[in-house]
Amino acid sequence: MSKETQTPPSLKIQPFTEEPIRFIDDEGRPVGEGDPAAVLGLEDSHLLFLYEAMVRTREIDRMGWILVRQGKAAFYISIGGQEAAHIGSLYALDPEDWVMPYYRTEPSLHLRGATLEEIFGQILGTNTDPSKGRQMPGHFGSKKARAFVLGSTVALGHVTAMGVAMALKYRKERQVVISYGGEGSTSEGHFHSALNFAGVFQLPLIVFIQNNHYAISVPRPRQTAAKTLAIKAKAYGLPGYYVDGNDVLAVYAVTQTVVDQARAGGGPALIEALTYRLDPHSSADDDKRYRSTEEVEAWRRKDPLIRFRKYLESKGLWDETKEQELRERIQKEIENAVEIAENAGLPDPREMFLEVYADAPPHLLEEMQELLQEIQESRQGGK
Amino acid sequence: MPVMTIGEAIRDALRGELARDDRVLVFGEDVGKRGGVFNITQGLQEEFGEERVFDTPLDENGILGMATGLALMGLRPVAEIQFIDFIWPGFDVIASDIAKYRFRSGGQYGVPLVIRSPYGGGVKGGLYHSQSPEAIFGHLSGLKVVIPSTPSDAKGLLTSVIRDDDPVIFLEPKKIYFAVKEEVPAGEHTVPLSKARIARSGKDVTVVTYGYMFHETMKAVEALVQEGIDPEVIDLRTIVPYDAETILESVGKTGKLVIVIEAPKILSVASEISALVAEKAIDVLDGPIVRVTGWDTPFPYALESYYMPNRTRIIRGVKKALSLI
Repeated sequence: MSKETQTPPSLKIQPFTEEPIRFIDDEGRPVGEGDPAAVLGLEDSHLLFLYEAMVRTREIDRMGWILVRQGKAAFYISIGGQEAAHIGSLYALDPEDWVMPYYRTEPSLHLRGATLEEIFGQILGTNTDPSKGRQMPGHFGSKKARAFVLGSTVALGHVTAMGVAMALKYRKERQVVISYGGEGSTSEGHFHSALNFAGVFQLPLIVFIQNNHYAISVPRPRQTAAKTLAIKAKAYGLPGYYVDGNDVLAVYAVTQTVVDQARAGGGPALIEALTYRLDPHSSADDDKRYRSTEEVEAWRRKDPLIRFRKYLESKGLWDETKEQELRERIQKEIENAVEIAENAGLPDPREMFLEVYADAPPHLLEEMQELLQEIQESRQGGK
Repeated sequence: MPVMTIGEAIRDALRGELARDDRVLVFGEDVGKRGGVFNITQGLQEEFGEERVFDTPLDENGILGMATGLALMGLRPVAEIQFIDFIWPGFDVIASDIAKYRFRSGGQYGVPLVIRSPYGGGVKGGLYHSQSPEAIFGHLSGLKVVIPSTPSDAKGLLTSVIRDDDPVIFLEPKKIYFAVKEEVPAGEHTVPLSKARIARSGKDVTVVTYGYMFHETMKAVEALVQEGIDPEVIDLRTIVPYDAETILESVGKTGKLVIVIEAPKILSVASEISALVAEKAIDVLDGPIVRVTGWDTPFPYALESYYMPNRTRIIRGVKKALSLI
């Protein structure tokens, strides 16, 4: 479905609120006056699209964990619990806009047109990965989806996205760029550089912080003494928005507001989405060492999928039969994609030498020949 | 042909590329109205406007992040770092993003950009206005590192790197910004990358050098010639990926190798070239490889003249290679 929504002019979203902006509560009940969908100008089909996108994201995530347990993927980094914060914000973009993902963003990028074969190719390191298996899982990027390819050093994407926004401004494009990161990324110098430059040059940059409470094991209060992350924007002369990241409608409303502002030349913004990582940081983490089961269980009850489903049910748009049908359909899509990705095979070792520079210099061609020789000899020796 | 200094030749290259290609943007600290602390970008903002030539906040990390993002979007940023010694706050951008973008994206994205910066000693700049960290960047797999030693090369190499599809660290030997003059081709002038220049042909010993050290080497060569020694001098020009072929051919002829650099010795460009020749041409060598370098200390302020290789130290190095001392 192509993007056709925009927030109505009557909608007023304020920066620097004390409490996170929300449109539906933990039980899926509307907060404030009127039906949130009507307030936001969203039709039933839009709501169902958002729900399906979140479920697809969750199911991709679940398969990521399975692939690690099966020994097929070396590693996996979770998005579980943060689907609303990703999908709600990505939904506010036009196809021409740009995304700087962070490592949890991968499963949500199907919304930008990345195929499931591509996503699982990245997780498995096979030929269906647009980046040819160069990086560990969690580092998906696709030019076709206008998603950049992130590195692993935290917050680096923010400062690069700032440069992308500078290019958009220089070329007088009406596109925007959104850069994702966790709350830990706000402690890095890159966060400062990005917001400071973006403010000075008034760039169409949205830095979207997923405050999921933990940077691996380190809790949010150890990152900053600031009351919210959103207020950090104030010092850079930008608006900072504090939103309930488990409320997909609120995330959409806030992001669409700042996207519209940035597109109209209104400059950058910071968004803090308050959410929670339901799974360990990654397949290499043991979260029981730093948080209680009770805490995790309490947040499971605030699962963004359950919450939005309750809202849809209250509107008569959803029921258990539809849920089963959807899950089964997505499950089939995913199994099919995993099979294609697995069968695509490993990338050609020659290519790693050919893509360091635009044209491979002699020393890399020499090293390539050395490796090919080695491969040939080990094949012969392995008889 | 007009006579120019290295500084003027760099400005001429920037002006030429700004005029030729509207994707080229020049920015950094004090590059606008001030024209750069070495006056290299003088007049460019006036000529090309504030959208093309502009000052940034005092943040190397931001400058480099901006350059990366601009390059990702197909522009041709030329970022100035005021002194190479100040680049480290942005090292993550260089090491983790710039050097690796093409590789890590499977060729989906590239970042053709230029980071220009004055480097090297000889101006009484102390620890943090004097260093020669070219080897550090050369070690990152994915960057090119280019250093001119003459005005003509400064213009030709800078023009080439701005047009190149890979990210380049372009280091400018600040001691000789305005000390060396020569005729420089007017208008369009490029010099191929990864191609060394044989500055002097000789048969007795190969001396590989670059940057300011090239000029000290030529002073030493004058004295050596008086003593009947006939050195071949190679100006490396591109540090990475360097021209191994020219070096190996020369050593094949002379059988002796001296490398002269002003950076510290350990894990240096001198070490790399030594290893190349030892690995590929040990059979033609008939003397020890000698590295004439700065000491493995931080760069001293008051004792600068004791730190940097000079004519005397280079002459000694060549004589060692010839087993004369």
